[in-house]
Amino acid sequence: MANSLLHIDKHVSYIQSLDTRKDRLDYHLTSHLRLSGVYWGLTALHLLNHPTALPRDATIEFVKSCQHPNGGFGASPGHDAHILYTLSAIQILATVDALGSVSKTNVVSYVAGLQDKDTGCFAGDEWGEMDTRFIYCALSTLSLLGELKNPAIDVPKAISYILQCLNPDGGFGMAPSAESHAGQIFTCVGALVIAGVLKEEMSPDQIDLLGDWLCERQLPNGGLNGRPEKLEDVCYSWWVLSSLAMIEKLHWIDRDKLVEFILSCQDDEQGGIADRKGDMADVFHTVFGVAGLSLLGYEGLKEVDPVYCMPKEITESVLNGYKLV
Amino acid sequence: MPLYSLDPEWEDVVPLPQDDGVQPLAQIAYTEEYTEAMSYLRAVMAKDEMSERVLKVTEDVIEMNPAHYTVWLYRAKTLFALGKDLVEEKNFLNDMALRHQKNYQIWHHRQLIMDRIDDSTGETEFTVTMFEKDCKNYHVWSYRQWLVRRFDLWDKGEIEYIDTLLEQDVRNNSAWNHRFFVVFGREETVPKDIVDREIRVCEDAIFIAPQNLSPWSYVRGVLKKANLPLSTFEKTASFYAPLDNPDKIRSSHALDILADIYAEKGEQKERALIALDFLAKKYDPIRANYWNYRAGLIKASS
Repeated sequence: MANSLLHIDKHVSYIQSLDTRKDRLDYHLTSHLRLSGVYWGLTALHLLNHPTALPRDATIEFVKSCQHPNGGFGASPGHDAHILYTLSAIQILATVDALGSVSKTNVVSYVAGLQDKDTGCFAGDEWGEMDTRFIYCALSTLSLLGELKNPAIDVPKAISYILQCLNPDGGFGMAPSAESHAGQIFTCVGALVIAGVLKEEMSPDQIDLLGDWLCERQLPNGGLNGRPEKLEDVCYSWWVLSSLAMIEKLHWIDRDKLVEFILSCQDDEQGGIADRKGDMADVFHTVFGVAGLSLLGYEGLKEVDPVYCMPKEITESVLNGYKLV
Repeated sequence: MPLYSLDPEWEDVVPLPQDDGVQPLAQIAYTEEYTEAMSYLRAVMAKDEMSERVLKVTEDVIEMNPAHYTVWLYRAKTLFALGKDLVEEKNFLNDMALRHQKNYQIWHHRQLIMDRIDDSTGETEFTVTMFEKDCKNYHVWSYRQWLVRRFDLWDKGEIEYIDTLLEQDVRNNSAWNHRFFVVFGREETVPKDIVDREIRVCEDAIFIAPQNLSPWSYVRGVLKKANLPLSTFEKTASFYAPLDNPDKIRSSHALDILADIYAEKGEQKERALIALDFLAKKYDPIRANYWNYRAGLIKASS
């Protein structure tokens, strides 16, 4: 089988090549998610055991150039601040051990300002689009900064909002009553774990029903979909698997079939991983494919933290650092 | 094709190019249009200009790149500042939404606009047009829920529309989710005749496609909301998964709910174990670990 192995070197050079393609239209059209693109590429490289494949100083400079006076980060210089890119910025800085290079106080006050004091939910930006994803972004950012206990943030209220998004089928949606979706489940479960209340707030029966919904996502071809009756997609290898890992039910899916599915979505020549076999590879599916393989214990990869989607040794060292203080 | 540098309307503006380090060495022709429009937009944004030409340049940029969230925000700000006719903006959004199915910035923008217009005429109809292209579009469904809540549309044809969608595709989980929202999403107790109707809807859907997960999940939700035991559905489940006649088993989801029904009853745990064993060995082996875990829980409790 041509696809039976992970093409580590090809994926590394694929990611390295992304930033040098500024002559292409898609480089310009993706500037609205550039900072996240750097996070995806950097995380993939770390998990592939090539942590220095992107230049560290230039990476830090780029992150800093995306910061706004209000403390938040935009996707590229000149773009408005948004919580999605603020999390990406903090994840990148934590990964390259450079959290000290930006003002923590500014970031915290930006994030705190996005919380809706009535519902507890977080908005993505100053225009107030609400989504459970943004609660995760907020809590993940704050915990990586050691600021989860900051009195400016109402964590219990955010958690109560998440619990309102729990559906009778066992999953979570982006808002109360919104359809269960694997990506939203990752963010809701992640937020509960970061806040340290997963087992307090969810009964064993609720956790089992959630696990049931999640493992139900595996299709006969081994791949996972994000909602019932939808197509499989490599990125759900991450959203579904990491959620199962957080509730300690990872073994409820068929590991070997999923590994085979992810490997079959690689671009054997240029590197990179696509959403499905035969489609065009991109950095988003590359990191989530690699992270999925890491969770499944695929050999030769660094262990990924299912809560943060970052190398585990990095999150452990960052979070332990705050415990010591 | 707008060429800002040649347009007299823009001659007072000094374009502001993107500053992200090294400039591209070779720009191919068709990126020029986009980078030019962006550099003029950046220039007016830097001055916080709110004007007709801002609306024009944001429209151009959005047309080329609808995922650029900053541009949407600036456009909304400008529309409100100029007191523009927002119904006209809606027509622009209809056209954009239809051509950019996966874009979600547009739906948030629409919500801001509709909140100001304060009149939902034509809105659910437009979501129907969207659903004709993709009946599981997550952001359009969220928008529709927002409409129902914001404009009190609970009893204005929602159930009838869902019935139509489920007739077309009984496996449309998004429609099932919306149904649950419409029936149980209000703060009031749902009367018995509605609960009975919902159970019947599930039975009918299961009859058409016994291996379709959605109605099986839905009926669990209905029974829970109505405080009814799972065994209310025992007869139907047994019909699709007769444990004593394994050749006639037609649904793994029926086995799943039967296992719960028997486990709940206490004295029939053996039958629950039989159902779970069928699932692990024959009807859903890819999740064998899960079914065995469930069996373990039952054994541990007896």
